[in-house]
Amino acid sequence: MEILDFLAHGFAVALQPQHLLLALIGCTVGTLVGALPGLGPVNGVALMIPLAFNFGLAPTAALILLVSVYYGCMYGGRISSIVLNIPGDEPAMMTTLDGYPMARAGRGGEALGLSAVASFAGATIATIGLTLFAPLLVKVAIRFGPAEYFALFMLAFATIGGVTSGSFTKSFIAACLGLLLGTVGIDPVSSVARYTFGWYELYDGIDYLVALIGLFAVSECLLFLERDQRQITAPMRLGSAVPGMWRSRNCASTIGRGSVIGFIAGVLPGAGASLGSFLSYSLEKRRWGDEGDFGRGDPRGVAAPEAGNNAAAGGALIPMLSLGIPGSGTTAILLALLLSMNITPGPLLFEQQPDMVWGLVAALFIGNVMLLVLNIPLVGLFAKVLQAPSWFLMPMVVLVAFVGIYSLNNSPFDLYMMLAFGVLGYVLRKLEIPTVPVVLGLLLGGQMEFNLRRAMSITGGDWSILWSSGISISIYVFAATLLCAGLIYALLVKRRLA
Amino acid sequence: MSDAPQVSHAALGDRIAGAVLAILALGAWWHSHTFVTGFMQPVGPGVFPRLVSLPLGVLSLYLIARPGINQRWPQKVALCRQLGLLLLLGCYAVVLEPLGFVPSTLVATVLLMRLFGAQWRQALPYGVLLGLALFALFEFALGIPLPDMPGGSG
Repeated sequence: MEILDFLAHGFAVALQPQHLLLALIGCTVGTLVGALPGLGPVNGVALMIPLAFNFGLAPTAALILLVSVYYGCMYGGRISSIVLNIPGDEPAMMTTLDGYPMARAGRGGEALGLSAVASFAGATIATIGLTLFAPLLVKVAIRFGPAEYFALFMLAFATIGGVTSGSFTKSFIAACLGLLLGTVGIDPVSSVARYTFGWYELYDGIDYLVALIGLFAVSECLLFLERDQRQITAPMRLGSAVPGMWRSRNCASTIGRGSVIGFIAGVLPGAGASLGSFLSYSLEKRRWGDEGDFGRGDPRGVAAPEAGNNAAAGGALIPMLSLGIPGSGTTAILLALLLSMNITPGPLLFEQQPDMVWGLVAALFIGNVMLLVLNIPLVGLFAKVLQAPSWFLMPMVVLVAFVGIYSLNNSPFDLYMMLAFGVLGYVLRKLEIPTVPVVLGLLLGGQMEFNLRRAMSITGGDWSILWSSGISISIYVFAATLLCAGLIYALLVKRRLA
Repeated sequence: MSDAPQVSHAALGDRIAGAVLAILALGAWWHSHTFVTGFMQPVGPGVFPRLVSLPLGVLSLYLIARPGINQRWPQKVALCRQLGLLLLLGCYAVVLEPLGFVPSTLVATVLLMRLFGAQWRQALPYGVLLGLALFALFEFALGIPLPDMPGGSG
């Protein structure tokens, strides 16, 4: 019952007027950004970070704002999937399969209402899971020494992207590239300048936020410029969302299963929301078989992936908060925010800053309710935003990114750096090399090296300490298992395609 | 980078990337030997970069040998627009401090809107509106000191 006490305390933090207001702003902005095609949670959260800094927000408040944006984006992603058949972000891809046919049949409002309830249920179940499991994980993690942490980082990199992206080689190349970029700057242990080539701007290392916005937002704009300027058709009549909400009672079991699957996919490192929605959709489809009308507007085909991807978004917060190891691109950005504010997530965070952790958890519960309430009456408004022309939206995104980055240090050098990372991100995406492992490498590299060196200084340079404890051996075994599972899965998919 | 438009050149992109990354790994490995290891440090500043550049090099060589799938590279028109975006943003970054925020941003927004497909009669009013709105947001709502116009009050 300790948890309930903590949670009650968290609600006291989250219910402060400033935090409530930020959660409301975050949810609204998040839903809007998520609804815009091409701009997913990664970009939404990345763009908000410089703003959060400039507001001069305290870490707890900034985190509440960004996590509300994150949850809001996951909610909003479904809107353009259903209305336009263009996923607002990658995890919302599965929602197009049945959502768009429903909208074409004049049941768009129903699909939006149903998916709002499914998203709410998924996110709430995941937040309950976060409340219950994160403290358990913390209890284990508190006993980790540097060697175990090093093993944990290896686990994160062994599994990153393996499942979601096509090629293992490319994911690992991306991770190594990120780790190497992470070593640029003055080495904190020996004060030796590494790979700075005399540029004093690089002495502090590569700024995470500059790299993030370049890799995600700028490369997105570059990609956008070469796409066909898609003619966005005016949305058809949507109808009321209320019947869809009642409809959700019939889909309760679908929503429940989708949420649990999504939650598990979210907790696993490197899997994330796309896998969550994919698995819950395909399992639901297999379960009903010919009985269902999947692919032609089955309501269950909307409920399952939406419950799945929102649950995965909540689940992904568990490893980020309790271990300091993000499992997805968006949680990596949240980690970047915390690191930039000199807060290191991990087991100690739960002990030293319970206000922040539990305030955040409570804010997630409140944010979920807000999102549900916002989405029922305002869904028509959100759908209208999709009609805003891209020649207005994209320059706005570019400029917010630009001024936000400039305002961090008032330095044009950061802007050049951002553009360089934009080109890098663009080329990597063209080569189908995932960019998320690059960011993870950049973010985690410093900690990884630090833990390696601490472990080594304990034994005076004996490498065997890295695999001398039961915990670290289990982590390596777990990593190897996940890696093999991913390889087998990739082989199976390849065989099926061939 | 390469502007090979065909999908059949996919392997080429991966091979070029593999070669570039392999050279990068080799360079990082070689350069890491110049980092001086301090006293009483079992693991010096060069060890971790070497630990990373080894798998990077090996995997890059593997990528050269077994290239995968690439997306289609942009056609000429798209490439020009992308270069235009980079050039425009680069110039914006250069003139931001000398010219001040408001004039450089107004020009940048209007040109950006043109680049993203607006007509002049759309880009001019909305560009000015967006530029001023951003100025108001950052200068007044967020209280960020933005570079002033030269000759301005300070």
